[in-house]
Amino acid sequence: MSVRILALVGDAFGGKGGISQYNRDLISAWSALGMVKQVVVLPRFASPSSLSVPEKVVQHPPAGSALLYSLRAIKHAVRRDRFDVVFCGHLHMMPLAVIISKLSGAPIWLQVHGIEAWSKPSDFVRWCGEKAVLVTAVSRHTRRQFLRWASIDPNRVLVLPNTVGEQFVPDEDRISAKKKYGLTGKRVLLTVSRLAKSERYKGHDRIIRNLPKIMEKVGNLIYVIAGDGDMRCELEELVRYEKLEDFVVFMGQIENSKLPTMYRAADIFVMPSSGEGFGIVFLEALACGTPVIAGNSDGAGDPLHDGNLGVLSDAQELPVEIHRLLSSPRCIGGSRTSDRELERSTRRYFGRAVFDDLVKKATEWFEYAPCSDPRPNS
Amino acid sequence: MCGVAAIFAFHFSAPPVDRNELIRIRDAMTVRGPDAKGEWYSEDGRLAIGHRRLSIIDLSDQAAQPMVSSDRNVVLSFNGEIYNHAALRKSLEENGQEFRSRSDTEVILHLYELKGEAMLDDLRGMFALVLWDKKRRSMLLARDPYGIKPLYYANDGWSVRVGSQVKALLAGGRVSRQTDPAGRAGFFLFGSVPEPYTSFQEIRSVPAGSFIRIDERGPSAPVVWKCVSRIYADAEVENAPADASEVKEAVRTALLDSVKHHLVSDVPVGAFLSSGIDSSAVVGLTRDAGEYPIETMTLAFPEFVDHMHDESRIAGQTARTYGTRHTTHRVSEADFHNQLPNILEAMDQPSIDGINTWMVSKAASDSGLKVCLSGLGGDELFGGYPSFRDIPKWVRGMRIPSHVPLLGTACRFGFDLLGLESFGVSPKAAGFVTYAGTYSGAYLLRRGLFMPWELPGILGEDATREGLRRLQLLEHIGESLRPDPGTAFARVACMESSIYLRNQLLRDADWAGMAHSLEIRVPLVDTTLLGNIAPIANSGRLGISKRVLVSAPTTPFGDDVATRRKTGFTVPIEAWMSSSRNILDAWRRVPSLTRSGCHWARRLAYAVHFQSVA
Repeated sequence: MSVRILALVGDAFGGKGGISQYNRDLISAWSALGMVKQVVVLPRFASPSSLSVPEKVVQHPPAGSALLYSLRAIKHAVRRDRFDVVFCGHLHMMPLAVIISKLSGAPIWLQVHGIEAWSKPSDFVRWCGEKAVLVTAVSRHTRRQFLRWASIDPNRVLVLPNTVGEQFVPDEDRISAKKKYGLTGKRVLLTVSRLAKSERYKGHDRIIRNLPKIMEKVGNLIYVIAGDGDMRCELEELVRYEKLEDFVVFMGQIENSKLPTMYRAADIFVMPSSGEGFGIVFLEALACGTPVIAGNSDGAGDPLHDGNLGVLSDAQELPVEIHRLLSSPRCIGGSRTSDRELERSTRRYFGRAVFDDLVKKATEWFEYAPCSDPRPNS
Repeated sequence: MCGVAAIFAFHFSAPPVDRNELIRIRDAMTVRGPDAKGEWYSEDGRLAIGHRRLSIIDLSDQAAQPMVSSDRNVVLSFNGEIYNHAALRKSLEENGQEFRSRSDTEVILHLYELKGEAMLDDLRGMFALVLWDKKRRSMLLARDPYGIKPLYYANDGWSVRVGSQVKALLAGGRVSRQTDPAGRAGFFLFGSVPEPYTSFQEIRSVPAGSFIRIDERGPSAPVVWKCVSRIYADAEVENAPADASEVKEAVRTALLDSVKHHLVSDVPVGAFLSSGIDSSAVVGLTRDAGEYPIETMTLAFPEFVDHMHDESRIAGQTARTYGTRHTTHRVSEADFHNQLPNILEAMDQPSIDGINTWMVSKAASDSGLKVCLSGLGGDELFGGYPSFRDIPKWVRGMRIPSHVPLLGTACRFGFDLLGLESFGVSPKAAGFVTYAGTYSGAYLLRRGLFMPWELPGILGEDATREGLRRLQLLEHIGESLRPDPGTAFARVACMESSIYLRNQLLRDADWAGMAHSLEIRVPLVDTTLLGNIAPIANSGRLGISKRVLVSAPTTPFGDDVATRRKTGFTVPIEAWMSSSRNILDAWRRVPSLTRSGCHWARRLAYAVHFQSVA
């Protein structure tokens, strides 16, 4: 059977951030599958982009409003050439997905990413969410949080994690990477993320407040914040308040092509977040061979393999863990690890081939039995 | 009887199995299998299977588990007994299969190699098994049709962990302890946690009579391979014996066949003996099967001396009738309080029953027994509960009133307005009009411990709403009636067998027996037996009576047993809970439970629940 997929997403080819990257990876994986005939992507928002759209994929331009978007999606759904699967890229688009599913008879594949699925939505959205035949969650944590409020067979909720791009690789010459960013001779802590007020949970402020304590034990320390957004001013104010202007650098938005060098310039990638669905940046840093510290109360446990690939720290232990890792940067998960070993482990579990295989397995549900319970009883 | 454990890192992103975790899960079940332990790991590190063994058939190391097939393509860890293993072995040997042990485990292994999961249909007995099929790269989890042996699994999205006990899975340290609202609500509604739910959201029971396959996609939806309702539905009524004497003989033959099969063992088999019909019949049939003298035991309590609940006098008479080596174990209130922490520790999931089984199992174990027969299941098979009389009557009478819009709501409102509960009227009366018109609803009224509208006072509004939403109460009960078993008797039998017997009696028998490394066998809970009885039951010639069971043994037991009012295997728990302060005192904090007339089981439910979440 050939599968036609209608993908309702926030953005894909043209968007920025982890979720649009995830959508691009997923759609690209579909396009490479023999069982997939066509993927029609309807982005809700998407900036103009030079990114090329893969074979078998048609991405329509974004609609101006939610109403227009919905009407266009419904129009696609009722065309003669029906879709076999409605992919819903965000929980809050599920009401539309349910309407389309009712009109077209196509089962729904819902993707849940992170905090949008961690707490119970309105009763209506929950009811819609429970109509999904297959749910893929970006991490075990998100899956668990989703199942706290969704009354749905847990065996229909699969984990489909982020993957990491091939451009993220180690380079033995970390010194030149530091030189490129003017960080020569420094011990560098790095965070890469949007600086959005809605994403305070990332934990930049916790690192800034802890810097004096860490600097008591570690000389030449500098904290590099890459990314931009409406929280930047607040953080800059905090840096001034703490009198840390000489020790915190705001790099602004880093182009994708320059990100690998940025990661390599860091001694530690640290983001003590409490709201990551998964945290693709952790994979990127690890693939570049940079040791990682993450929070221990969200989805970061997955990219860090429950502490075997990086350090999962609670807020209180953060300065201790940073100091420990700076003192012995290659000692992770109880054993010494080289840059290449970190990359190999990361790619072994989260590489493109693994992701493509997982997408294939998930899509096979619909190929075998596109009905209310698509899981093949092998 | 044993404990099985397994971890399968099925997801490509999952790290290899942590061997120490498997050992923690396995060894949390040491009492289930104190005689031996074993573990097996796949070469790629993605799979680990463990086993704790209570040796009963083939005591040699040749029967050790996990058992690996000679070509190393199949690995099996199994809990239970296959009573027809000798016949199956013979047929397999005729087919050219070579055996290296006398165990029933190896029979399953060879049978699977021959037939795949279709082999489940051939197994007569109680079992829960974990089987790794290397060629298909998939794991099979399966349970017997009645659900005599437990099997739980926890899927975190990356790895599936499997164990014979909920507490063992938790002991591994990687399974979430997030409570399941459906499991909690179900416990207060039924007095036991209704499967497939457990107290914990991540842990599910493999449904009785079902199998699950786990491959790189994760666990499949459970596939039902045999169920009680199907056996009744398929019963060929026209083949049922026509007259009373033929019925009597057919039932006797079927019962004796089951008891004979349940005596297969390489260690001595004893029996629990109360003053009731079921255990007396089992002991009598055991003698007919040529297995005597056997050890029998009963419990006696100082509170019941010269009381109708005293089991010891009549049980003693029955023991003399059948020439058993009988012992009466006296249990005092002090013993109860001393053992209570151990009982609660052994209780795998919250339950309002099982204390009696724990005590009599202790007595059996102290006598050196590893295997005991129990009369569980006789009431479900022969219609011994009042539900067989009441439920069909209620459904007939209330079918129309229960469909009158708002009548049920009005009755509930009137009940509350008049404050009838404070006059000692059961809260169930308030829901009679709403529920009594359907089999599922009537069953809830008959068996329910708390009614749904009482739960907010115990669990709170949010937890109740969430629990009931997930549980889908009436649909949940109604599942036991699919396919329709055909007659009123069979419908009640299916509900009793699939809910009360499975979730309460059999589960309690498992944890309470296993707490003393004792295998409890239940000859009246057997699908072959049911297959023989169902045509008679559906033809209406069985009647709703256990008289037919009374006349089954060649040597009849005394009239005292046959005519005694049904009391169950009773423990003076009500008096013990009320007489002194103890660790079950939590119920005193809930106003509705402190009212005089409140049933002790409702108080015990709250106390046990409180202990389980403390």
